[in-house]
Amino acid sequence: MKSRVLAVLVAAVALSASAVPVFAHHSFAAEFDTAKPVNLTGVVTKVEWMNPHTYFYVDVKDAQSGKVTNWACEMGSPNGLTRQGWTRNTLKVGMVVSLEGTQAKDGTKRANARNVTVDGKKLGAASSEGVTP
Amino acid sequence: MRNRLGIRFLVLTLAAVFVLTATVITLVAQQGQANTPATGQGSGGGRGRGAGASNPLLSQPAPRLPDGTVNLGRVPGELGIWQLPYIQNMGSRQYVVGAPPAPARGDGAGRGRGAGGGAAGGGQIGGGEGGGPGGGQRGGAPSEPWVPFQPWAAAVYNYNSLNNSKYDPEGYCLPPGGPRLYATPYPMEIIQQPELKRIIMIFEGGTHVWREIHMDGRQHPKSETIKGETWLGHSVGHWEGDTLVVDIVGFNEGTWVDYYGHPHTTQLHVVEKFTRPNKGTLHYEAMFDDPGAYTKPWSVAWDIPWNASGELQEYICQENNSYLNRLTDDFGQPVISNR
Repeated sequence: MKSRVLAVLVAAVALSASAVPVFAHHSFAAEFDTAKPVNLTGVVTKVEWMNPHTYFYVDVKDAQSGKVTNWACEMGSPNGLTRQGWTRNTLKVGMVVSLEGTQAKDGTKRANARNVTVDGKKLGAASSEGVTP
Repeated sequence: MRNRLGIRFLVLTLAAVFVLTATVITLVAQQGQANTPATGQGSGGGRGRGAGASNPLLSQPAPRLPDGTVNLGRVPGELGIWQLPYIQNMGSRQYVVGAPPAPARGDGAGRGRGAGGGAAGGGQIGGGEGGGPGGGQRGGAPSEPWVPFQPWAAAVYNYNSLNNSKYDPEGYCLPPGGPRLYATPYPMEIIQQPELKRIIMIFEGGTHVWREIHMDGRQHPKSETIKGETWLGHSVGHWEGDTLVVDIVGFNEGTWVDYYGHPHTTQLHVVEKFTRPNKGTLHYEAMFDDPGAYTKPWSVAWDIPWNASGELQEYICQENNSYLNRLTDDFGQPVISNR
């Protein structure tokens, strides 16, 4: 018990120490609503590996209705993503990925991704929301 | 019973993790003020622990150039970059020489806490960058009574606070001017060229900009020729012992002092001080002297950690800035008309 707690503690400290601050290129709060967290899983339909924000698009199927919605997901810039382990080929069209993020204030199907799970690996998305991966 | 104790222990541990995490985040931003007395309260007292204690660079002296000048950059055979912190609110980093340490203000996320004890035994006041990254719960000028706003500057600041910095020029890929260059969290390199009597600073973030500091003893051009002329201003520098002192004038009004939106005018005059108290730390201080927007000069200070394995990368903000295309004004109209 004690050693497990200690391990968690050490991990938490190590994680925060290694968190590289990322650049809020634009006003996160003006565009996204922290009261609208989203967890999405879907099929990648398009990837824009670009400055100042990389975007990828996913088709997300509603579990009940079966209706498919295409979400636009914003991440950080290629330099920030590279430092968090991404390459321009990490995301490919057709892959199934999941992400945790925040929806746009205007309610459109757009999200700022905080992290993305690709091939079972959770990667920080160099989000402008904060330093947590 | 045993179980209950365990839960209590877990809760305590989680609280400790939270506090430690907050401290470490603050430390990462302000890493290694080891050479300044830690007379501050709150996070200031924890500076010697955590990340600080495990970073050997903090106990190594600053490198020097062959002529004895402090080297603010790399040494031959090694990599390294300055990892600029993300400081959203300069009002939270205000530093008053001679002032007593201010009481801690509400600062849930642990950022922006006054570091206390600066180089000259002054107090850092302020603290609290609102509800965390990206803003939220921002109080505008009334929440920063120590910032000497003129009434119009307070009104502009309040407006920027109310709309969550929607019109921040950096969101438009315009460069950070002045001290905000050192508060935009991408790497930066300093290249000293004593033989050319100049210092070049290269910034990966912002808009991938560089600045040149003239070290050849020249004066600023006459005020009427440069007033309002440039985004980054005209910089002349000199060494005072181991401190690089840089004087900047000639700013236009296209930039904000910080992400939170403290305004400035073309009358802005900035005096910067750079020191390297140890190999792992660049200490930065800046005084804003702008009689057009503030009733008296005010100063800010923070530390910038050295990332010994870092290198600059490419960052071209203008490539696909779709934020700008989606941005609407206060009347709901697109700021950039549809092309």
